[in-house]
Amino acid sequence: MTSPLFCFSCNSLQTIADNINYFEVLGFPLCFEIDHDELGNRYQRLSLEMHPDFFATAPEKEKRLSEKSSALLNAAFSTLRKPTSRARYLLSILTGDKRLKSDTLPEGFLQEMFTLQESLDELLESGDETALSGINENLQGRHTDIESDYAVLFKKFETSPENSEILQQLQTQLNSERYLRRLLDRINTE
Amino acid sequence: MAYSEKVIDHYNDPRNVGSLDKSNDNVGTGLVGAPECGDVMKLQIQVNPETKEIVDAKFKTFGCGSAIASSSLATEWVKGKSINEAMSIKNTEIVEELSLPPVKIHCSVLAEDAIKAAITDYRNRSQD
Repeated sequence: MTSPLFCFSCNSLQTIADNINYFEVLGFPLCFEIDHDELGNRYQRLSLEMHPDFFATAPEKEKRLSEKSSALLNAAFSTLRKPTSRARYLLSILTGDKRLKSDTLPEGFLQEMFTLQESLDELLESGDETALSGINENLQGRHTDIESDYAVLFKKFETSPENSEILQQLQTQLNSERYLRRLLDRINTE
Repeated sequence: MAYSEKVIDHYNDPRNVGSLDKSNDNVGTGLVGAPECGDVMKLQIQVNPETKEIVDAKFKTFGCGSAIASSSLATEWVKGKSINEAMSIKNTEIVEELSLPPVKIHCSVLAEDAIKAAITDYRNRSQD
């Protein structure tokens, strides 16, 4: 494997380039779909090479570089391993200086979220487990649907990169995800 | 991060929670959301059609303490104001009153948006 953070042939930390992205950190192309086993393997292998513990007696400069590289590696891994944070991150890169509207939602979605929150009020109050698990299942399903749409939309954008409407659709999906996540968190923590 | 005393006061004792009759032509409803965090806020005003004064306001917010406090404060502030005066309430005034930290400024923006949405809804409905 290759990573710009570490050279496996000469076994040494590399200076971190400015504006390196998380995909590059782990040696992946800038693409939404990612091999999860490979992601985990690369993360482990790199953290074993770069962990600050192994640089405790190294010169100060190298010590600091290992801390910086490890922090970057951890941030990259935790962002890329989950579909929503990966999608959010990739969207921000692909958007660049194009202008997207930040608050788009499907028609009627906000009203529906408000109504669902209100019914949760009642159900959590009354402790109606059957109704709660019904809503939970329904919302989980919709959440999964949104997450599987990311891959479809990013693929579509790859074939027509001039169409920034696709990026706007991704933004809408990511916005919707936050509201669904919020409801799910509420059901599962209260 | 610690909440200010005023936020805690509104959070523990929110003013004007509830709803007004949406179908009443003198009622305007604003429903807004913050995609950064998934908060949803509904703010309603009841307007005296003769004087254009806001005679009542209610809110319901699903969100963090700062979002609840911002909307609670917003209902207190709009009551007794004309709709034109209420339209000019700025989120920065809410930030100042509640001593909101920078990460919670979007909660005050949400409250300002909710007031404006409610007034716009009232204007649209009362024209018909």
